[in-house]
Amino acid sequence: MLAARLAAALLILLALSVIVFALETVIPADPVRALLGPSAGADALSAERHQLWLDRPLPVQYLHFLGNALRGNLSVSLTTRRPVVRDLAAFLPATLELAACAVLLAIVLGTTFGLVTARRRSSAIRLGFIAWASVPPFLLGLASLVVFYGRLHWFPGSGRLSAGLTPPPGPTGLLTVDSLLHGDFAALRDSAWHLVLPAFCLAVGPAVSVGRTLRSSLQSVLSEDYIRTARAKGLSSRQILLRHGLRNALTAPLATLGLQAGLLFAGVVVVESIFAWPGLGLYTARAIQGVDFPAIAGVTLVLGTAYVIINLVVDLLQSAADPRLRRQVTRSVGRVRAATQDY
Amino acid sequence: MAAVDPVALGLSATPKRAHARAGTGAPEKAALALLIVITAISILAPLLAPHSTTQPAAAGPFHSPGHGTILGTDELGRDLLSRVLIGIRTSWFSALAVVASGILIGGAVGLVAGICGGAVDSGLMRVTDLFLALPGPVLAIAAALALGPSLLHALLAVAIVWWPWYARIVRGEVRSLMARPHLDAARIAGDRGVLLAVRHVIPGLAPPIIVTASMDIGSLILTLAGLSFLGLGAPPPSPELGAMTAEGLTYVLGQPWISLVPAAVVFILAFASNIAGDGIRDVMADR
Repeated sequence: MLAARLAAALLILLALSVIVFALETVIPADPVRALLGPSAGADALSAERHQLWLDRPLPVQYLHFLGNALRGNLSVSLTTRRPVVRDLAAFLPATLELAACAVLLAIVLGTTFGLVTARRRSSAIRLGFIAWASVPPFLLGLASLVVFYGRLHWFPGSGRLSAGLTPPPGPTGLLTVDSLLHGDFAALRDSAWHLVLPAFCLAVGPAVSVGRTLRSSLQSVLSEDYIRTARAKGLSSRQILLRHGLRNALTAPLATLGLQAGLLFAGVVVVESIFAWPGLGLYTARAIQGVDFPAIAGVTLVLGTAYVIINLVVDLLQSAADPRLRRQVTRSVGRVRAATQDY
Repeated sequence: MAAVDPVALGLSATPKRAHARAGTGAPEKAALALLIVITAISILAPLLAPHSTTQPAAAGPFHSPGHGTILGTDELGRDLLSRVLIGIRTSWFSALAVVASGILIGGAVGLVAGICGGAVDSGLMRVTDLFLALPGPVLAIAAALALGPSLLHALLAVAIVWWPWYARIVRGEVRSLMARPHLDAARIAGDRGVLLAVRHVIPGLAPPIIVTASMDIGSLILTLAGLSFLGLGAPPPSPELGAMTAEGLTYVLGQPWISLVPAAVVFILAFASNIAGDGIRDVMADR
C-alpha cells in the first residue's frame, strides 16, 4: 500500500517536471539572449545554446533537464546571476521558519475555532467564517502592518531581525532555533517578535479552513449513535467532545491542511513581499518583477515537491488515524472538497 | 433510484442542517442583491467613473478620501474611485470568465469520461488527479510568468489549474446520472452517444455545476487579485485592484488608503460572492 502511494507520488513529481519544462519552452523570450544580454554576438549565443543543450530535440532536452534537476542542477537566475539552487538554499530557511510557525498557529487557531463553534448553529458564526475566508492575504498583511506596526508600534514591520543585532551563525538557518542553541536570548526574543505579524497573516487562511472543516465534521460526528451512547453512559460534554468527537472528526481537517499547503505557498509570496521577509516568497516576488523564469522554475519545483510530500504524509497520517481509509490508494479528492465547502 | 453521490453534488448539507439554516436567508439575499449591483457597476463602470483612470485628477496626488474626492487620489493624483470602479469590472468579469472556462473544459473532460467509461474514463481521470495533486496557485504563478504579463495570460494560467475540479464533479455526476432509470429508458428508446448526452445527461448536470461555480467565484476573485498584486496581471497603468494595492505599498504607512481601498474592495467582492454562493448551495440542496 505504501509502495503504491510512493509510486503515485513519484509519478506526480515526474509530471511536475514535465509541466515546468513545458513552461520553460513556451516562454516567448529567448532564454539564452536573456542570460547573455543584448550585446552578445551570434557565435556566443549559439555556443551557449549548445552548452545548454537547447539545440537538441525537445525530448532530449527534457531528459537533460530532468537529469540536471535530479542532481540538483537548475539554471542560473537572471536577476541574481547565481545558480538557482544556491539562491533557493539561501532563501529557504527563512521561509521554513515562517511557514512552520504559521502552520502551528493555524492548527492551534483552527482547532480552537472548530471546537468552540461546533455546538452552536448560529448564522453569525457561519458568516464570521465566510468573512475571514474572504479576506485577501494582502489586505490582512497591509492592515496589520498599518495598525500594529505603523500606529501601535507593537511589532516590527519588516525583516527577520532588528538592525543592531547579528544573526547567530547557526547550523539550521532558523533564527529562533539558532539563537536558542547559542544562548543568544536577545536575538531569540527579537526574531520571535519579527515572526508574529507575518506568521499570523499567513496562518489565518489555513486556520479558517481547518476550523470550518473541523466544525462541520464534528457536527456530523456528534450526531452519530455512539455519541448518544457516550452521553447515556454519563460522560460530560467536554469528555464527549474531546475524546469521542475530536478523534473521529480529525481526518477531514487533516486533509484540508494538506490541501491548504498550496494556498499557503501562494500566501508566502504575498506576505513575505509585504513584510520584506527574506525568504522564497520575496525571492519569487522579485523574480516575477525581473521576469526571471529560471528562478520561478526552481521555486515551482521545490514548492511542488514539498506539496506532494506534505500530502503524502497527510495521506499516511489519515490512514493511521482512520483504518477505514487504508484500502484506498488515492485519496478521494471529492470527499475532501465536500468537507471543505461544508461549513 | 440509484444513490446520488452527495460528494459529487457538493451538496453535503443534510436535511437537518438545511432545516437549521432555514432562518438564515437575509444575509444571502443581501449578498445576492449586492452581486447584482456589482454586475451593474461592472457593465456601466466606464460611464460611472467620474474621472480618467490614467490621468491625474484636479485634486492632486495623495488626497485623502472625502473632501471632494470620494475615495481620494493615489500617488500620481489619479482618482481612486474611478480606478476602483474599473478594477471591479476587471475583477468580476475575469472571475466569471475563468469559471466559465473551468465549466467548459472540465465539463467536457468530465462528460466524455463519464459517458465513455472504461479506459477513457480512467485515463482522463488520471490526468485530472495529476493536476489536483499539484499546488495550483504555484503553478498558476509559473504559468502566468512564462506566458508573459498580461490580463489574458493571467486568466489563462488560472484556467489551466482550475478546470480539474469541474472535471471531477461532472464526471461523478454523469456516472450517477447514467445509472438512473430515465437514462435506461432513453437508451432503450435508441438514444446513443452525443444525442444521449445532449438530451438527457447535460440538463441534469446544471444543479451541481451551478452550486460549484457559485461557491468558486469568491476564491477565484482572491486568486486573481493575488496574481495581480504580484505583478502578474495587466501591466501598470491599467487599474486592477490587486496591482493598485501593490502600487500603494510604498506609501502604506503615510497614505494607507491608496492600497487599503482597493484591497477592501477585493474583500467585499469575495465576501458577497461567498455568501451568495453559500445561499445558492442551500437553496439547491433543499430541492
